[in-house]
Amino acid sequence: MIDITLGQYFPGNSFLHRMDPRVKMVLIFLYIFSVFIPQNWVGLGLAVAFLVFVIILSRLPVKLIFKSIKPIIPLVLITSALNIFYISDGTTLFKWGFIQITTKGITTASFIAIRIICLIAGSSLLTYTTSPTTLTDALERLLSPLKVVKLNVHELAMMMTIALRFIPTLIEETDKIMSAQKARGADLESGGLMQRIRALIPIIVPLFVSSFRRAFDLATAMECRCYRGGERRTRMKQMKMRVPDYISIVVVLAFAAGLLGLNFIFKSVL
Amino acid sequence: MAIISAEKVKFYYENYENSDNQGNTPQKPVLDSIDLEIKKGEFVAVLGHNGSGKSTLAKHFNAMLLPSGGRVLVGGRNTADENEIYEIRRMVGMVLQNPDNQIVSTIVEEDVAFGPENLGVEPGEIRRRVDEALKTVGMYDYRLHAPHKLSGGQKQRVAIAGILAMRPECIVLDEPTAMLDPKGRKEVLDTISRLNREQGITIVLITHYMDEAAAADRVVVMESGRILLDGTPREVFSHVDKLRQVGLDVPQPTELCYELRKHGIPLPEGVLTAEECVAALSMLLEETYADN
Repeated sequence: MIDITLGQYFPGNSFLHRMDPRVKMVLIFLYIFSVFIPQNWVGLGLAVAFLVFVIILSRLPVKLIFKSIKPIIPLVLITSALNIFYISDGTTLFKWGFIQITTKGITTASFIAIRIICLIAGSSLLTYTTSPTTLTDALERLLSPLKVVKLNVHELAMMMTIALRFIPTLIEETDKIMSAQKARGADLESGGLMQRIRALIPIIVPLFVSSFRRAFDLATAMECRCYRGGERRTRMKQMKMRVPDYISIVVVLAFAAGLLGLNFIFKSVL
Repeated sequence: MAIISAEKVKFYYENYENSDNQGNTPQKPVLDSIDLEIKKGEFVAVLGHNGSGKSTLAKHFNAMLLPSGGRVLVGGRNTADENEIYEIRRMVGMVLQNPDNQIVSTIVEEDVAFGPENLGVEPGEIRRRVDEALKTVGMYDYRLHAPHKLSGGQKQRVAIAGILAMRPECIVLDEPTAMLDPKGRKEVLDTISRLNREQGITIVLITHYMDEAAAADRVVVMESGRILLDGTPREVFSHVDKLRQVGLDVPQPTELCYELRKHGIPLPEGVLTAEECVAALSMLLEETYADN
């Protein structure tokens, strides 16, 4: 059984792992936006180089990064194909019936493919180097200014934490119920689609009932421990920005500015 | 000094279907005029079979339920006073039956921190309390583990640590061992009796295991919302017939001596543990041989 509470998290002690998760989150978002800035190969090259640099900093096995890209390969291929076939400006290289491949088409397609890969690899760096709990925590703190518009950020974060906490418990419970129903002769593996869906009912109903019971119990337990929502609540773990965090902010901002500058220096290829 | 005192506590569950036109609820109360005083530092076991009202009574001790009649005082504070509710819950921590359903966080130490965080304790102090509480229950080495990977006994100890971190004066445990294996039961019971002995924390243990009750300083037996017996384990378990009448057992050594005594074998009353039973029997045998 995969451990969902850890998600993709790959424990480690690299620079990226030790960064303030709030800073890391914001900077990775900034990176994702900056990937869309370059209009020329130099800029895009810089974006790729920067990503490689950060991957090296994260000390993650390269295999992991490829693993994160693998599921989006079909998406990359489809968008590339669409671009190749639809863009008809530039020098025509190949023409067969209505299919036409131009230099511009190929340039655009590869440009976009590289962008998508950077985007996914970049965002997966966040989930690889930060545990879901820390992510939730960071999100709560980042979004806390939204209290002004009456969004209860604390409750949202609490819900996420509880969901993460109970997913493994509920998976375990599902296994138990399935075994119990199989022991009573329930057939879960054969039959057509409808029959299989119907066979799930005796599993889902007890699972729901027990989840409600769990929810009541948990609410009682939380009240017993003086829970009263986010007000007047302190946190054991404080998030502190340190010098490396400030340096990272400067570096990423400089990187984004650099990409903008390169757009003026080099001619757009798109 | 009494830390918890229940004075003529009555409790009904509101049940509109059964109430008459005047809105009165004619059905039997779940708690019927309970008078109980729990002293500071005591280890009290509350016995009773299902539906005897023992869990309902426990929930009155930390203002999870409010009495329909009478009052409950915790350290002199009335549980019905809304301003005192969080102080009462801090003073009287509660551990529930199912260890899975009372752990909030995905990391052990963060779960232990949950209580003090709610109380608004300053971060450095929370850290100290969490480490101390985890060391007390012997779970410090597991502080960074995910709770779902722990055994039942370990989870229940984490739950106890979560209460300890709030610096309570009393811990109420509502059948904390009902879902545990024998090893887990022992872990939890050892932990709570150590807390009682070494830190002077008042313990109220709700249970239906006779041997757990035998380890307490005082046993309160409940039956249909009333207190049937109240005294030291020795006193309470000497009422074998009375206990049997309400569907409760006595610890097995006690039962053995009781049955033998009924058949005319002169054994002392109030034997609680296997060791005492063996001692009493061997003494009897020696006397018999000496006579012959």
